[in-house]
Amino acid sequence: MMRGPRAADLALAPAAEERPRTRHTYGFRYLLRRFARNRLALVGLWVVMLIIVFAVFASWIAPYSPIKPDFVNLLKPPDTGHLMGTDDLGRDVLSRVIFGTRTSLLAGVISVGIAVMAGLPLGLVSGYYRGRLDDLLMRITDAMLSFPFLVLALTIAAVLGAGLDRAMIAIGIVFMPAFIRLSRGQVLSEREQNYVEAARALGAGDGRIIWKHILPNIISPVLVQASLATAAAITAEAALSFLGLGTQPPTPSWGSMLNFAQAYLSTAPWMAIYPGLAIFITVLALNLLGDGLREALDPRLR
Amino acid sequence: MKRLLVLVVIAVLAFTSISIAAPRRGGTIRVGLNADPPNMDPHQSTAAVDRQVFQNLFDKLVDINQDLEIVPMLATSWTISENGRVYTFRLRTNVVFHDGTPFNAEAVKYNFDRMLDRSFGSLRFSEVNLVTNVQVVDNLTVRITLEKPYSPFLSIMADRAGMMVSPTAARQAGKGFSLQPVGTGPYRFVEKRPQERIVLERFDRHWDRNAGNAQQIIYRPFTDENARLANLRAGELDMIDAVAPSEVPRLRTDPQLKMAERVGIGWQGMWIQVESGIFANKALRQALNATIDRRTLVRVVFGETAEPGNGPFPPGMFTHSIPANSRVPERNLDLARQKLREGGQPNGFGFTLKVTPGRTPQQVAQVIQSMAGEVGIRVNIEIVEFGALLSQLDAHRFEASLLGWSGRPDPDANIYGFFVTGGTLNNSAYANSRVDALMDAARILTTPEQRRRAYTDVMNILNEDLPYLFLWWPKDYKVYSPKLQGFVHVPDGMMRFRHVWLNP
Repeated sequence: MMRGPRAADLALAPAAEERPRTRHTYGFRYLLRRFARNRLALVGLWVVMLIIVFAVFASWIAPYSPIKPDFVNLLKPPDTGHLMGTDDLGRDVLSRVIFGTRTSLLAGVISVGIAVMAGLPLGLVSGYYRGRLDDLLMRITDAMLSFPFLVLALTIAAVLGAGLDRAMIAIGIVFMPAFIRLSRGQVLSEREQNYVEAARALGAGDGRIIWKHILPNIISPVLVQASLATAAAITAEAALSFLGLGTQPPTPSWGSMLNFAQAYLSTAPWMAIYPGLAIFITVLALNLLGDGLREALDPRLR
Repeated sequence: MKRLLVLVVIAVLAFTSISIAAPRRGGTIRVGLNADPPNMDPHQSTAAVDRQVFQNLFDKLVDINQDLEIVPMLATSWTISENGRVYTFRLRTNVVFHDGTPFNAEAVKYNFDRMLDRSFGSLRFSEVNLVTNVQVVDNLTVRITLEKPYSPFLSIMADRAGMMVSPTAARQAGKGFSLQPVGTGPYRFVEKRPQERIVLERFDRHWDRNAGNAQQIIYRPFTDENARLANLRAGELDMIDAVAPSEVPRLRTDPQLKMAERVGIGWQGMWIQVESGIFANKALRQALNATIDRRTLVRVVFGETAEPGNGPFPPGMFTHSIPANSRVPERNLDLARQKLREGGQPNGFGFTLKVTPGRTPQQVAQVIQSMAGEVGIRVNIEIVEFGALLSQLDAHRFEASLLGWSGRPDPDANIYGFFVTGGTLNNSAYANSRVDALMDAARILTTPEQRRRAYTDVMNILNEDLPYLFLWWPKDYKVYSPKLQGFVHVPDGMMRFRHVWLNP
């Protein structure tokens, strides 16, 4: 769009810095205080941080290899040797759950990353310029949103083929329209604000306005949406893996662990309970965190 | 008092044994199948599950019994000429099709004409294409001449190619016969609602007065094995086909349900593509084979529901005792390392193992991955959808893949097409003229002893060349309600209901 600042913009740059105070400049400390007031959100944050630690240090924390079968200890119920028991191939369920955090977090963060990276710019451009481009993009997102979430993800994953990387792309594509819609809606109201008018009057170009002025003001709902979407993406990865389209064996994933546990539900329930709990706790924590963020960032709740 | 109790017990026993001896008429047998049968025309059908329904809808020229012996059905007796090329069948009297058409030598001739008619495109064509002439000797005698001797011919007549369809109905319906199938079986077709149910009803004019005890048979498809079993437990079904291995130990002692169990006639293992790529090197195939502990594999994945195997002839076949077939090799890591050195890959190598979706193939693949990994053979598991995998195997576009065969009663059908040069089922692209010659010889040889000798030589070569790693022989399971009586479990896994009855 805009390569560099135009001459007028350049000349008036210092003035632009002193433009009417935009709303995004609450202090970080202030936000943190507001966030910390919400006890549940704090719990969510701690749990998410704990999960990240598990994911990063999985190889040090896990007591056994997550993929090496032990043909002597098949389907052992939980005891002191294996706190969560062993699975159908004698692998330690605890170790697999710990390594599964890696898969799940990766799936959550990367697929939402894809969705934001693609959805946010499209939404910004669409909402800022309106017109034909906006119409076209909105009809496409309408079409994508009209599909039930899992049906679309399954279709894309089936076309791309099985595998964690491809499942993440599929989930990213499915989540993209939500971010296009959200950011577009925010831009629509922001572009009419006085500070945008002012920036334009001062000669700022479209690129500068979008990037420097509008984006910071719409980013907080996007962040909230992203944290909630991460939880949904983790569930989605689990669902795809459960159906055999996600993580490939022997890499542990909570979803694929549940898939295999299905056959042993009555004989070895621990194979299902722990990965199921892991999904439950992670998704709950991310949702609490997201809710906390929303409350902290929402100006109406100040 | 004690004496009275004994008397009561005896009376009860006597009563129950009487009720077992006398089949009861009426009722509906509700069957849970593992898939929806796609095609009801035995001359067009490809799916194994179709055959479950055919058993009761159609009669065959001959059938097989529990011991895989050929027994009379529509043909009451037969003779085979000295040179093994002419089969003369004497047909049963008073047999009519469900539409009233009489069954006779002309009808048999029509059935062969239909299967051999290229414009019709019967899927049975390759099974009967050795037939050069079908002659109607008299109304109830038919003489079939083959191009060359073919000892598995009778066993072919005990399956779909031997099922007789009504000439009147088939002429009228053409390809549409599948929608309104007409046979001579103890049950006639009522309706088929795709993915929902198939209904058969007792045929009152069936030649066997003792057949068709139940009034109706209803087949319902359940692709999920847990759902199938749950419906049986809930009393919604009377019998189901195939159960999850993990359920077997509990079903064995389940007081509410009965379970029939026996080693089937199929084989399972790993295809290896030997034409190109890493496995064109025979020593590397031998190295991989030496790392696999078949007994452990079976114990871990299948428990009691399969037997470790090393060939295409499971127990029950007359060729089973061939040592190269029945002797399960021990795991030998030293041998594996030696073969790796011989193959020029002393530190191991990697290959991709393609498997179908589903739990069992993935479990097997992971066990093999772990076993092979101990000598540095890296197995990369790739899950490929069933249809796509079949076409990749067909085109030899793979390194290794887990896929087996459901099995047929005659050894020929368990080995020939898979290992003959250019065979339609030869996924390995294996070519060995000596194996071809021996398998052709086994088709011509007539006594079991001669055929066993030919297959012994074949198996010795296959065990050395390893175009396929035979790993296990699955067992066949049927689970049913104790109300269902008189079921005979034939190793082909087919549910024959003609002499089964339901107690109230």
